[in-house]
Amino acid sequence: MISAQDLIFLLQGVPTTLSISLISFAMGFIVGMPIAMIRQLSRSFELSTVLEGYDKVMRGVPVLVIMLFLHFGLAGLVPLFRDPFISAVVALGLRSGAFQSQIFRSAMNSVGRDQMMAAISLGMTRAQAFRHIIVPQAFIVALPGLGSEIALLIKDSSYSFVLGVLDLAKYSDILRAATRSFIYPYLLAALIYVAMTFPVANYLDRWGSKLKTKYGLR
Amino acid sequence: MSVLKCRDLRKSYGDLQVLRGIDFEIEKGETKVIIGPSGSGKSTFLRLMGLLEPPTGGKIFFEGRDVYTSGLDLNIIRAKIGFVFQEPSLFRHLTALDNVKIGLKCVLKVNNDEATERAMEALKAVRMEEWANYYPAQLSGGQQQRVGIARALAMDPDVILFDEPTASLDIELTWEVIDVMRDLAKRGITMLVVTHEIAFAKEVADEISFMDGGKILESGPPDQLLRSPKTPRARRFLTRLLGGI
Amino acid sequence: MFLLDYSYLIVQGFEMTLVMTFLGLGGGLVLGVLSALGDVYGGRALRALIGAYVEFFRGSPLIVQLLLFYFSVPTVTGVRWDAFTAGTVTLMLNSGAYQKGYFKGAIEAVFKDQLLAAKSLGMTFWQTLRHVVLPQAFRVVIPSWTNEYVSLGLSTSALIVIGLRELTTVSKSIAAQTFKPLQVYLLTGLIYLIWISASLKALDHVYSRVRIPGLEVSAEAS
Ligand SMILES: Nc1ncnc2c1ncn2[C@@H]1O[C@H](COP(=O)(O)OP(=O)(O)O)[C@@H](O)[C@H]1O
Ligand SMILES: [Mg+2]
Repeated sequence: MISAQDLIFLLQGVPTTLSISLISFAMGFIVGMPIAMIRQLSRSFELSTVLEGYDKVMRGVPVLVIMLFLHFGLAGLVPLFRDPFISAVVALGLRSGAFQSQIFRSAMNSVGRDQMMAAISLGMTRAQAFRHIIVPQAFIVALPGLGSEIALLIKDSSYSFVLGVLDLAKYSDILRAATRSFIYPYLLAALIYVAMTFPVANYLDRWGSKLKTKYGLR
Repeated sequence: MSVLKCRDLRKSYGDLQVLRGIDFEIEKGETKVIIGPSGSGKSTFLRLMGLLEPPTGGKIFFEGRDVYTSGLDLNIIRAKIGFVFQEPSLFRHLTALDNVKIGLKCVLKVNNDEATERAMEALKAVRMEEWANYYPAQLSGGQQQRVGIARALAMDPDVILFDEPTASLDIELTWEVIDVMRDLAKRGITMLVVTHEIAFAKEVADEISFMDGGKILESGPPDQLLRSPKTPRARRFLTRLLGGI
Repeated sequence: MFLLDYSYLIVQGFEMTLVMTFLGLGGGLVLGVLSALGDVYGGRALRALIGAYVEFFRGSPLIVQLLLFYFSVPTVTGVRWDAFTAGTVTLMLNSGAYQKGYFKGAIEAVFKDQLLAAKSLGMTFWQTLRHVVLPQAFRVVIPSWTNEYVSLGLSTSALIVIGLRELTTVSKSIAAQTFKPLQVYLLTGLIYLIWISASLKALDHVYSRVRIPGLEVSAEAS
């Protein structure tokens, strides 16, 4: 049967799960935001082809395969990837970069052309209009999407289990092996995941729509 | 015998009394028009008479039989009462023709060939036969509304209820719908129409009723009711309505 | 090339990936439509039940769900089941939870006025569902459904945790045997990439054929 001890044991995996998710989210932001800007502003054909290719790969290959590729395939060339934690974070971060760039791009598009026109008519340059008018509004529109993205990362951080990272999923597996109880460890872990993803997704969704109504966006 | 009749019809939504006891009947071949200010309960009255919502009091009779107590199949009666809505409410995944056919096939179990034939006939009656294979999104509001009329007409109903069918249309589109309705009235189709197209009402209505505050305050032939309404409220309403013309 | 010796295994693995994707999507479609209908038209208890189901499967990782079902069902029921069955059932339940959201949005996109119109023609609830609501919902749901196809297809790689021999599992063992992980995983990634891109093209083609003017609006997933 389940005990408080088991719960505490499982919770040891939570910090790892959260750090993987949050670091990869930050990395996704650092990768995704510039990509969104470049694809929105740049007229270079080569650049946009490359970025499109990046997007296609990240959307067309399982994140687990990217993890395995980094950790087992590239570790010989890049010693950094001998660390399974780093491999997991980088794989998730790269994919999140593609996802976040899409979130920001559609947010920028929804803020719209007329705002850009209005700003330019005030004498702003395109870049200024972008920075002061479009991006701040796009952030608000992007909030719900970003919430789902964090939730997705929390869940998908569990793929690091396959590399042997000691995350929540791994702890539940250890607990199963140790207690020989086949239900509670996993069930409990699943519920802890729900407890983590649910608030993030819902909070950002609500915050986003509140701000949207306040500023009369879409 | 009346086609459709109600006695002391009442409807409340929670504490809000929308209909406060309405007596009304319409006979075969008649055209009756209802006018009244917005919020007076006209749409609610029509929805109740179309058996789309149950009343909270009173009785509705279809061809003399109490529809809610005589164990009749409501869907069979609904099929005999046509309804045209204020907003064109065509099925958006079906062409004009299929919109008209669907009731025939699903409810009346008419076979496909006969359904097509009857539907085309109905589309002709509303002058939409050339648009039979277009989807609602490809039609103007007035055209959609005419297909909506054809959809009701094709079922060969005993009466058709119209809830301000032109209220959501631009003026130019209003005429094409009104023309069609005038044709139907002259063909002897039994019609109960909520509308503020006074010229139409004057021409085809056998009787106009004025509704306010969930009650029918007065009824009469068009000439009398439009020219010399008895109740002050009807007078005020008509002055405003006709004053604008 | 060394991989040729393993091509037969890779093909088998890829076949398994396809089979699991389609089983999961198909079962998920049925579950998703049913729970969307239950959520829109059902009573309070049913809706609470559906809500819990969806929240659980959307809020937790597929990996943990797979482990849970694979290990717990034999314990609880005493019935032995293999990785294939456990994997299929879990994927169906998982996909159903996501598809429920898409279909709910699509069903609600069929506006009230059309339901009233159907009623006025004398159509029953089931006739309305079959002839008015579902045909429109299926078309409106298409963009979200494409996403679900891609996302479920890629997440079949999670089946590795219960040892089912789909593409990722097979690749991992080939990589270990050949000591050539770099090439093996590149190839694996390429296979997934080609599969997904080709599927998207094919789906696009199918969709352009069933498209109806005015119905291409995408449903907000809820
Ligand atoms: N389904 C409903 N629920 C609550 N109130 C309603 C409903 N339908 C109509 N009402 C109310 O009933 C009153 C009459 O509405 P309606 O019948 O639409 O009037 P009309 O068609 O004359 O403008 C309004 O105050 C309206 O808000
Ligand atoms: Mg009204």
